[in-house]
Amino acid sequence: MLTCDTYHMPTTLRDALELWSEAPEGSRLVSGATDILPWAREGRAGDVHIPSLIDVTRVAEFKGYSVANGRVRLGANTVYQDFLTDGVLRRTLPCMPFCAIWFADDQIREQATLAGNLANASPVADGTPAVAALNGTVELARLEDSEIKTRQFVVSDFILGPGRTVLQPGEIITSVSLDSAAGYGGSFQKVGQRRSLVISVACCAALVRADNTGCSFDDLRLALGGVGPRPMRLNAVESRLRGERISRRTIYAAAQLAADEVASRSRQEYRRSVVIGFVKAGIEEALENQSDVDVKFEETEHA
Amino acid sequence: MPKLKIDLEVNNRKMSKETDAHKRLLDFLRDDLNLTGTKEGCGAGECGTCSVFVDGKLVKSCLMPVAKASGSKIQTIEGLSDPGTLTPMQRAFHKTGASQCGYCIPGMVMAATSALRENPKADIEEIKERLGGNICRCTGYTKIFEAVELAKAVIAGDMPEEALNEDDVGDSYIGHNVRRLDAPSKVSGRLRYAADMKMHDMLQMQVLRSPHPHAKIISIDTSEAEAMDGVVCVITSNDVPEQTDGFGVFVHDQPIMARGKVRHVGEAVAAVAAEDLVTARKALAKIRVVYEELPGVYDPEEAMKKGAAVVHDYAPDNIVKHIPVRKGDVNAGFANADLILEDDFSTQQVEHAYLEPEAGIAYVDADDVVVVISPSQNITHHRHMLSHILGLPINKVRFIMSPVGGGFGGKEDMIYQGMLAVVAMKTHRPVQLNFTREESIIASAKRHPSRVHYKMGLKWNGEITAIQFGMISDGGAYGMSSEGVMRKAAILSCGPYEVHNLSVDTTAVYTNNTPSGAFRTFGGMQAQFATESMMDMAAEALEMDPFEIRRINMMKIGSRTHTQHKLTAASLDRCLDAAEKESRWENGPPNVRGSKRSDLGGDDTRAPCTLGARFKNGKSTDKERVA
Repeated sequence: MLTCDTYHMPTTLRDALELWSEAPEGSRLVSGATDILPWAREGRAGDVHIPSLIDVTRVAEFKGYSVANGRVRLGANTVYQDFLTDGVLRRTLPCMPFCAIWFADDQIREQATLAGNLANASPVADGTPAVAALNGTVELARLEDSEIKTRQFVVSDFILGPGRTVLQPGEIITSVSLDSAAGYGGSFQKVGQRRSLVISVACCAALVRADNTGCSFDDLRLALGGVGPRPMRLNAVESRLRGERISRRTIYAAAQLAADEVASRSRQEYRRSVVIGFVKAGIEEALENQSDVDVKFEETEHA
Repeated sequence: MPKLKIDLEVNNRKMSKETDAHKRLLDFLRDDLNLTGTKEGCGAGECGTCSVFVDGKLVKSCLMPVAKASGSKIQTIEGLSDPGTLTPMQRAFHKTGASQCGYCIPGMVMAATSALRENPKADIEEIKERLGGNICRCTGYTKIFEAVELAKAVIAGDMPEEALNEDDVGDSYIGHNVRRLDAPSKVSGRLRYAADMKMHDMLQMQVLRSPHPHAKIISIDTSEAEAMDGVVCVITSNDVPEQTDGFGVFVHDQPIMARGKVRHVGEAVAAVAAEDLVTARKALAKIRVVYEELPGVYDPEEAMKKGAAVVHDYAPDNIVKHIPVRKGDVNAGFANADLILEDDFSTQQVEHAYLEPEAGIAYVDADDVVVVISPSQNITHHRHMLSHILGLPINKVRFIMSPVGGGFGGKEDMIYQGMLAVVAMKTHRPVQLNFTREESIIASAKRHPSRVHYKMGLKWNGEITAIQFGMISDGGAYGMSSEGVMRKAAILSCGPYEVHNLSVDTTAVYTNNTPSGAFRTFGGMQAQFATESMMDMAAEALEMDPFEIRRINMMKIGSRTHTQHKLTAASLDRCLDAAEKESRWENGPPNVRGSKRSDLGGDDTRAPCTLGARFKNGKSTDKERVA
């Protein structure tokens, strides 16, 4: 059971930063709250008393998103369901709807924020590989001599390890910025203990663009989750395939390179075999989901 | 407790309320507004019994701090329709028999309502996906999906509203769709389960449970907990009359709270009754128990060995019950066999996971009758046991069975009602205990994990000549229903096949694991897993069709069962015919079928869950709602 002395709902960034910097030791920020409530139960943290809970979901500056200069800036209150229901986000972030559909369920997605998912820094978060594939950066704000200062981190630098980030006392995530990948095909692979409403054992986000002819890879973005302490871009696989003729054999050969990246502490052999399949399926499904080009696989072989 | 002021609108009523700052929306709706149609099945966002609309979006109210709901419009199951009426969705649930125990149903109706509000044209795959956050343990979902499709058709005008009315049954109910009498109370959320009931001046109870599987209790110091503001009493086994403290379905080996030692992790050691839940939980942390850990035994075969730790003094060999069945001459049967197969089969522990966690209320009425209200599956037996434990005549103990939000055998054991009764007698105040999901899992009985050693003799023509069947079951720390489960396992052991020579032994053994008890099939499942696997393996060895070997051995009219009951009716032949036809079975031994089987897949088979159905279903939700 989670209990607290005070529950704050600031409506401006300044108020939130002031409350957070003055909050008693042991206080917590709350975003969607879909993780903190299950955490404070038997088997995890048990009964927890927190002096001050500061809920940032009413902060006006965290609302909505903007698209400019090839980047999509998502306010910190963007919830997972937005990636399924918002037309602009679906077009510009083509791997996010597939990530979202495997994330929890429709009801939890209405509350759970992408920023909160990143702040938790779980090695098996669904959001981190998708954000890494979209060259995501996280913006943090803090008060310095009562002025609001910000700093930016790419997501793989923002997360330091399981449950650890660069966030300093008094600092709050204000937004997550991602590449606009309109025109790419996206996909998301995930395996867990069961199919639905489950935490990943491993997951893989893919963004792929075939050239106008549909015969060659123009660009690829691939990232894995659950295979190490931080999300991981598969640079070797990406560069091996960029510019190559699209064939199942080439994809399969490149996917083998991904297995070498697996560095998780448990079930390493299992995860190695899973990621090969994930990278292959991820690329193939992303190609299928690229709407404006009819992709042609090179025939003559059977993968 | 720190307070919070919130303004909101619930079911079209504006309100301004002061409530505890830490509360979840779920607690606020249930405790402050008495809107108990919204249930708590897990408290962790897994089950969906607490689904409500907040500003038109369905959320899980157990995951929402109440402060987040301030300024919002909330709609609960009670607000879907006016009193005395039902929405088309609720009527469809009634029509198709979608509600059984009913505990998931308010949340399920909310999720179904949300699915069609989000996309009135959702196809069945999208409906399944949108209901993915809600769990039902009774129906297998089929009737729920039928209800949603029916409601969809009626709402869209594709079917007349009369389609929601009860089918005409003519002059016989048999063969007709008959509506359940209790469904309206369930689809509307009006039915009150034990955790939904409230009494004036009622205390809340919480239970301290053992962290050890086997340990002597050296001392329990409750003084600090008892001194807390708001704590009314703390009880241990010392508060129970000593001579008679024991319950169980067959052997009364379980004290209502651990006495002298604990025998499994999660066993009740002490209980607190306080003015409110938060105080009761805080008081638990102040109880000091000194344990001396004892060697434990965790494997039933190890438990039967000489020198193993003894779980109960009355059973030095750790045997709960051994059931032997003998028929014919098993040695002669094996001597007469052309082929003898031998193998081992094991099954695991299984949790019932009914959506309603255990809950109950006890009070003492003005005539000194101790009354216990709980979803007990065995109230008469519980009443008799409790009268002995409390040292009261039977007419001073009363059990009232509240609606059972799923039991499946798991609510046959009196694992908490005794504690409630003791507190009610000590305080003369009503007292309630609502288990958390975690507590339900740790403290309730499970399906027996079993190991079967199987030996089967067969003629080349497929006829079984003899079976030797030995089952060892892990009974866990207490006897509960183990004896009955072993009897049923033995009676059903060799399946619906006529076996002239058999030797069957089923044994349940005490260990320091979570107790095993009743669970659907009551031992039959473990036995049939072994027998039916063995039949398929025999078919493979004899290169026979699996249906054929079953027809050769099946019980017919005139057959004698394993326990020598002469059958005057038998229907396995018809079952096999129907199963063979409906599965489009291709004749042949089970091992020569391979990947080209045409009897797999097809329209009437269920594909595994793949998410993303809505992506294929057009752009109906393609709106820019954020910017």
